Amino acid sequence: MEAENPVAASIVEAAAGCGISLVASLPDGWITPLITRFAKDSRFRHVAVNREESAIGLCSGAFFSGIGALALMGASGFLTCIYAITKINYTYQIPLLIGITLRGRPGDPAKFHQSNGLYLEPVMRAIDIPFVAIERGADIGRLATAYRHSRVMSRPVVIGFTREMLRGEA
Amino acid sequence: MNFEHCFRFLADRLRDEVIVTSAGNCSELWWEITGETERVFYLEASMSLASLFAAGIALGSAQRTVVALSGDGAFCMNPGMLMVERQLALPNLKHFVVANGCYGSTNELPMPFPEFVDYAAMARAAGIERVHEFATLEGLAQALDEIVTVPGYIFSVLHVEPLGRRARSPPLDGPELKFRFGRYLERSGGPAIFDVPLPIGGKRPPLP
Repeated sequence: MEAENPVAASIVEAAAGCGISLVASLPDGWITPLITRFAKDSRFRHVAVNREESAIGLCSGAFFSGIGALALMGASGFLTCIYAITKINYTYQIPLLIGITLRGRPGDPAKFHQSNGLYLEPVMRAIDIPFVAIERGADIGRLATAYRHSRVMSRPVVIGFTREMLRGEA
Repeated sequence: MNFEHCFRFLADRLRDEVIVTSAGNCSELWWEITGETERVFYLEASMSLASLFAAGIALGSAQRTVVALSGDGAFCMNPGMLMVERQLALPNLKHFVVANGCYGSTNELPMPFPEFVDYAAMARAAGIERVHEFATLEGLAQALDEIVTVPGYIFSVLHVEPLGRRARSPPLDGPELKFRFGRYLERSGGPAIFDVPLPIGGKRPPLP
């Protein structure tokens, strides 16, 4: 039986509260409870993609059918999306909320994710993509702020989840 | 079949559908033939995502038929799209891969092993039930009405010859394309795209 995950539940409620109804995801171990929660919630159409860029394409098209969308992925997957984001969302000025894990920060025990700790945030700064960190449970409400900001500026915005927040430790 | 003849035929028959064209010859030739600036999204800036972009449109637009025209170069960058499209199974999405065996807009440099790659077989192997393949205009003409009008996701391969020349890109900046396309969808019965209430303090305000 799956354990209740209050953090995932809070994030899902925040997404529903701002009108998101499409979630396209590719797993990262930190967000599997969140993805599962989205997939089980009838308020959302969850689409499991097999390449992170596909989430960018699908969610960007959904903008034109009036659907609020969230592309959800790991940090490494986000880094593979620079082409899609800069060519689709920047060229055509299509808003999009992208949720990622903040892999590689101190506390992440995975050696193979340490490159994200070094390069993830500098890459985001290099492409001028607005970034909102969600580091504590109290920050989850910032998801709506980030979603709104994406719509206001007609560009994508990234929200980044820390390990401690996702585990309910912060 | 002749690429230009194929697209002229499609342009003549696809009068009401929403069209998404991928980078390169698909966008360039559709623009050259039609000059359309409203119901067509020329996704020239990106390879490999035209059909999923089209799927996003189709997802919330059940009353519309959305046609994606992808080049085979674009398709090969992301063949996993087949599994996502099968999962979505959108009855109003029609995906055509235009297979000319080369990168048409970059001097027609050849793709590796085009004579061996079977896109239709790949689609069937991904579990897609309605798969078509056309090497002649006559064959396409016989099946097109059924492809477009009968509900159900369909993947079709159009075998065409290389264009053999350069075609012009649509002279539209990205934001102009976004607003022309989006406003067309809005005024032709679609949901509001640009003027929707935004969430305030974590809650979306009610619609006026």
